[in-house]
Amino acid sequence: MLELVFLVPFFAGIVAFFLPRNLGRPLLVIIGAIHLLLSVLIWVYRPNSMFPEYFGVSPEGLLSLLVISLLFFLISIYTTGYLKASNIKSEHIFTGSMLLFLSTMTLVTLSDHIMVMWIAIEATTLASAPLIYTHRTAASLEATWKYVLICSVGIAMALLGSVLITVSMDVGKVDGPVSFSALTAVAKSLDPMWLKAGFVFILVGYGTKMGLAPMHTWLPDAHSEAPSPASALLSGVLLNCAYLGIFKTNNIMVAAGLDDFSGTILMVFGLISILAAATFILKQTEYKRMLAYSSIENMGIIAFGTGVGGLAAYGAIICLIHHSLIKSSLFLTSGNILLGYGSRLIKGTGNLVNCMPRTFVAFFAGFAGISGFPPFGIFIGELFIIVGTFRAGHYVGVGIFILSLCVIFAGFANQMLKISFDDTDATIQLTESAGMVWPQYTLLLTSLLLCFWVPDTLYRTIIHAVTSIGGGF
Amino acid sequence: MNNPVDILLSLVLLSCLFSFGSSRLPGLIKVLAFQGVVVSIVPLFVDPHMTGGGILFTMVTLTIRGIVIPLCIYLAIKKVAIHREVEPIIGYHASMLAGLLLIVGATFVSHHFDVPASRAGVLLLPTAITVLVSGMFLLMARRNAIAMVLGYIMMENGIYLVGTTFSAHARHIVEFGILLDVLAGVMIMAIILQNIRRTFDDVDTALLRTLKE
Repeated sequence: MLELVFLVPFFAGIVAFFLPRNLGRPLLVIIGAIHLLLSVLIWVYRPNSMFPEYFGVSPEGLLSLLVISLLFFLISIYTTGYLKASNIKSEHIFTGSMLLFLSTMTLVTLSDHIMVMWIAIEATTLASAPLIYTHRTAASLEATWKYVLICSVGIAMALLGSVLITVSMDVGKVDGPVSFSALTAVAKSLDPMWLKAGFVFILVGYGTKMGLAPMHTWLPDAHSEAPSPASALLSGVLLNCAYLGIFKTNNIMVAAGLDDFSGTILMVFGLISILAAATFILKQTEYKRMLAYSSIENMGIIAFGTGVGGLAAYGAIICLIHHSLIKSSLFLTSGNILLGYGSRLIKGTGNLVNCMPRTFVAFFAGFAGISGFPPFGIFIGELFIIVGTFRAGHYVGVGIFILSLCVIFAGFANQMLKISFDDTDATIQLTESAGMVWPQYTLLLTSLLLCFWVPDTLYRTIIHAVTSIGGGF
Repeated sequence: MNNPVDILLSLVLLSCLFSFGSSRLPGLIKVLAFQGVVVSIVPLFVDPHMTGGGILFTMVTLTIRGIVIPLCIYLAIKKVAIHREVEPIIGYHASMLAGLLLIVGATFVSHHFDVPASRAGVLLLPTAITVLVSGMFLLMARRNAIAMVLGYIMMENGIYLVGTTFSAHARHIVEFGILLDVLAGVMIMAIILQNIRRTFDDVDTALLRTLKE
């Protein structure tokens, strides 16, 4: 039962490679709907796996799974319209890779074994590389090369980290399954030195995939070159999946009583990422790259919050959920802008408010959400992180954090106003069909709704996830 | 130095230095093939009571690391007639010096670690660190895309050395993961290389420098 949720998209993805191009689009939507249904069923019934050593349902995995499902379903609806409006030559490869990508990311959320997690994250790289290369231009090839090379090195580091954790089992004379839940249970007897080394390598490895600076260099290129639905998946879901690997390893560290060590490293990487994003976002000339840097910023915020722990860890999970919802909506909207103006450059756009009013609403609301305006969830998450950091007494860290957020807001707002209100002589080549704006509206409304009303089961799952790393109120 | 493991490991160390000094791709591929063979038979000497499955895994690794992958890359560079020069960013002599310093540094660092399998060979940890960092060095200090792939494979060799000799735990899982990684990584990289060639008529990654801040 549990395995169905990643097997269905896997086989559908393989089938999609051989389907004629007009059948791939409905297949995406159908599989998206089935996946959403299965995820909800898993959420409600929490079934056991047939291979409990390898797969399992964890609260943080469930949260990610539900976000992935919802996002993929809405993105698949958008993709139908996007594919109609754009000219993609090998559409069957695109749809097939999207489905395989969904399958591998689902596998990440359900994996409990340290190696299954590693194989799944490796597989996300393989499944998403063709997506980035969809347009077959020299620039997209360069982005794919960078993505595969940098992420392969990262994933090799993560493998080394996993191996070092098994060495810590040997040195500590611990025997048992090499799964996250089992290791967390026996964390106290693991050898602390090898465990620390393992954590550092896993953080660098999965951090590469998550887009933490200074290993983030593939991210802006890949996100700007991939077609918008793929960018939305990369940013909204893939980064979360990589975070999940770090989160689970951090669980082991906390259980072993090494949370000072892991927390400090997470905070440092988080702050470097936020600072890097603040530096690069100011002079961005392309709007998709700007969004990509904003993703790096948010991943930095999440890593920082996780590192601080306590209330900030709760804030980090809130940011994680809302970032996925809002950022994927922004990337989908950027697809409309790209199709409408035919230019990636901010200079090539302008007067969005009159040219494409429905897209403008989604874009501006998304901007307000991602930069932390009050009604949206990122505001609440960031507030929790700031309060939590003050409580923990990291005054320098919180100072850099707030300052960088202000800089990023200023840079983002500046570019945003140019896109929305500057004069332009461009002619719009896209009619805004309902299928190309409603998915974004739905994502944003979901984010808005979650600020005012959090279902009890969701709240309990979040609390359950963060208590393991010493988080909560 | 009578320990066979240490003799093998010193060969691995030498191959790292050779790879730093090779200026042509065919030579570099041969060094990597040699290193692949030697690295994959090290576990046979570390653990004398290996099971049949373990020996089989070692043989499979040897075939893939030592024969299949180098041969594929060799055929690839013959077929597509690309530059044979590895196009160093850091010169050969400087690379050699860096390699020597690296070995000294790795030996120094390894004294601080308590390795469960250290009685198997004194060179185990220093070699593993050296191979790993050498791979990263080749990745960064060579501009030719194939040389970068070879550097990546060398890095994998280093991880294999750590995974199979340090930890009795879940050894075959580690091996399986590495095989999958190498195969898949090389395949994808090969496809991409093909395309890089088609688009740029070369595999000089300096041409892949338009996307930057």
